[in-house]
Amino acid sequence: MKKISLVAIAAFLSATVFFACSKSGGSDGPETAQGFDKTAMLTAYADNLIIPGYTAMQQQLVGLKAASDAFLAAPSGATQATLKQAYTAAHLQYERVAAFQFGPAETALLDIFVNFSGGLDYNFNTSGELTGFSVDSVTIEKNITNGGYNFQDMTRVSFYSQGFPALDYLYFGPNAIDKLNASPVKRKQYINDVLARLKSLADKVAGDWQAYRAGFINNTKTDVGSPIGSMVNQFAYQLDLLKGPRIGWPFGKQSNGMVFASKTEAYFAGISGVLAVENVSSLKKVYTNNGSGKGLSDYLVALGKTQLNTDVIAQFDLVTAKLGAVQDPLSAALTSNPAAVEAAYKEIQKLLTLLKTDVASAAGVQITYMDNDGD
Amino acid sequence: MTGINANRFTRPASIAPLITFRIAFGLLMFASLLRFWWRGWVTDIYVLPQFHFTYQGFEWVRPLGNTGMHALFAVVLLAALFITIGFLYRISAIVFFLGFTYIELIDVTTYLNHYYFISLVAFLMIWLPANRRYAVDTLLRPGNRRTEVPAWCIQVLIFQISAVYVFAGLAKLNADWLLDAQPMRTWLPAKTHLPLAGPFMYKPWVAYLFSWFGAVYDLFIVFFLLNKRTRVYAYGVVLIFHIATAVFFPGIGMFPYVMMTASLIFFSGEFHERLLGFLRGFSMKPEQNSVYRYSKQKIFLAVLGVYVAIQILLPLRFLLYPGHLFWTEEGYRFSWRVMLMEKAGNAYFTVKDQTSRAFFVVNNAEFLTPLQEKMMSTQPDLILKYAHHLAEIYRQRGMQHPEVYGEIYVTLNGRRSRLFVDSTVNLAAQPLGWEHYQWVLPYQK
Repeated sequence: MKKISLVAIAAFLSATVFFACSKSGGSDGPETAQGFDKTAMLTAYADNLIIPGYTAMQQQLVGLKAASDAFLAAPSGATQATLKQAYTAAHLQYERVAAFQFGPAETALLDIFVNFSGGLDYNFNTSGELTGFSVDSVTIEKNITNGGYNFQDMTRVSFYSQGFPALDYLYFGPNAIDKLNASPVKRKQYINDVLARLKSLADKVAGDWQAYRAGFINNTKTDVGSPIGSMVNQFAYQLDLLKGPRIGWPFGKQSNGMVFASKTEAYFAGISGVLAVENVSSLKKVYTNNGSGKGLSDYLVALGKTQLNTDVIAQFDLVTAKLGAVQDPLSAALTSNPAAVEAAYKEIQKLLTLLKTDVASAAGVQITYMDNDGD
Repeated sequence: MTGINANRFTRPASIAPLITFRIAFGLLMFASLLRFWWRGWVTDIYVLPQFHFTYQGFEWVRPLGNTGMHALFAVVLLAALFITIGFLYRISAIVFFLGFTYIELIDVTTYLNHYYFISLVAFLMIWLPANRRYAVDTLLRPGNRRTEVPAWCIQVLIFQISAVYVFAGLAKLNADWLLDAQPMRTWLPAKTHLPLAGPFMYKPWVAYLFSWFGAVYDLFIVFFLLNKRTRVYAYGVVLIFHIATAVFFPGIGMFPYVMMTASLIFFSGEFHERLLGFLRGFSMKPEQNSVYRYSKQKIFLAVLGVYVAIQILLPLRFLLYPGHLFWTEEGYRFSWRVMLMEKAGNAYFTVKDQTSRAFFVVNNAEFLTPLQEKMMSTQPDLILKYAHHLAEIYRQRGMQHPEVYGEIYVTLNGRRSRLFVDSTVNLAAQPLGWEHYQWVLPYQK
């Protein structure tokens, strides 16, 4: 009797393992028949959101270059105003792809070189050092004067003197037009170098996605580095950035209310608020896959987490609304309208908790940016 | 009665199972530590973090710096190799046990049940004459060769492995596991990438099957391994079960391989003699049977009795605590609760100065690695340790009387996240200890 049941169990398990281990030559047998089709979800992400996002980024940078050329050719209030529109459009487009910081973007260190946040693991209040969304104007001026800069340097100084922060300073910083008129050649050269670097990074990531796509849509795992694992981790990471360097830390959350107005994103352009709104509303678009019915939100519904999904979407909308209520420039609102900032901060925290605990847990994803064993 | 029992434990038994165990254990440890090093975890886990969650009573255990940690791993690796070949065995076993245990004691957030198991086995190995055959030691000193050891030398290892299985099985006898098939129902839909088995992972009945089969397996496999007639089949099930867990849950690392290897100890002396047959030329079997004798066996057996009692009582200590074990985790560790729950948390801390009412929100990433933060967010004793550390940090930063408050949310087995600890309690003023932490909010279904 015992023997028979044991043999039966063993047979069953061998069958399971055989099925699990046997190489069946790719992903035959669609998962749709049994449940949620993750490959269809990932395909929609790649084709409708990610790759078009980087293509748009490339286009926006072309537009920015044109407006930049016009500004550099004839620096004036009028050309600067036109440039600001192009700059804002390009920076907003970056916010739309910010959450895709994995695969090609991770290889290229896109976020660090394009829009350095200072890092979450760095003490924002370190005195005498640049933190958060700062810009290193001293190094930028030194680079312009001395030349010989290398944008591939892996130093915080290097990150803070290129990408959008550098452009923000060079286009819209104090006396930007006067400085450009005073020493045009080297300054224009630097601006064009920063732009070229941005463009080459965007080109590289957009190009790499063509080859990366196949692996992306066919990897339906949820472990560290997997597409689903990475996207869910990015929800938490982007919300952490919003709670920290984008809003909370300049607001003085880490510093007993001492405000760091100049450490807001795109401080000189004064568009921190719209960037933050775009960041979080784009994140919602990632969560729902732009409402295509093939998003992580739909996956949660397929797993029976309908109420959670409803709450997450509502919380996304609430955060967007509260952030929208903070008038730009954010740098001024931090002191002139602290109640609105505080209200947005509170809702950001709630959204972060939902994404980091309930959503991650339901999706079988660990919020950790490192590989490790567990039990 | 004691006579009968003593006889059962002290009768001579073949040394072969012990030899296989030594070689396999040594090799597995060598491979396992090498993998750990190769993945860069020595640096990630023991060099880069600026703060470590120490074990109560072992606060003196500190990481040894970049060179020191890698040197320690090198020493332990070498010890594992020496254990395998049975060279300077006793010293190697001591070095391995101390070195490995020291590493594990550095940071609670790296706790894994199989690391604890390895430490326990390594400790036992110190006292067992596992180098008396098929070892460099006996090659050098042929007079030390023995063919038999007191039976308890094998039995203690059997006991240790049995404890893992049976307690792991008992731990699964809870409503979430059996009635809701949690956490399997959460974990399995993430495994649809597996060929053939994948599409079934969305089916609730599969989660129930996994849950119930896992519980039955853990509870009873030992008895089938002990029974001579069912042993071979049972070991087949062991292999299949653990290979399956390795395929479905690669995140559990070396655990399946440790259990598959360790369970070989259940086999008879004759089986192991045959298994070791390929080493025969190397062994130079002694002319006649000789039994390894402990000069103070009674003391050994008495101490062993205490050890066994501790091993049985330790996993039951959770009964002394009020509240829901999975929620409070008081008495959770060192109890063979493997892959038992899906728990995730998010912890916000604020530090306030009692006198000036200055108010600071803490950025956890500034002090903890992502792994540390993840583990801390769901475990009350780690939350408290971290809160005390934060108080110390802010004291150093010039705050007179730092108060630390936590707003922590935790989700357990698919339930919606809830407030985990009383956010109005100054955690800096709460003592670390073995008593129940009153500031952990009661579990709600």
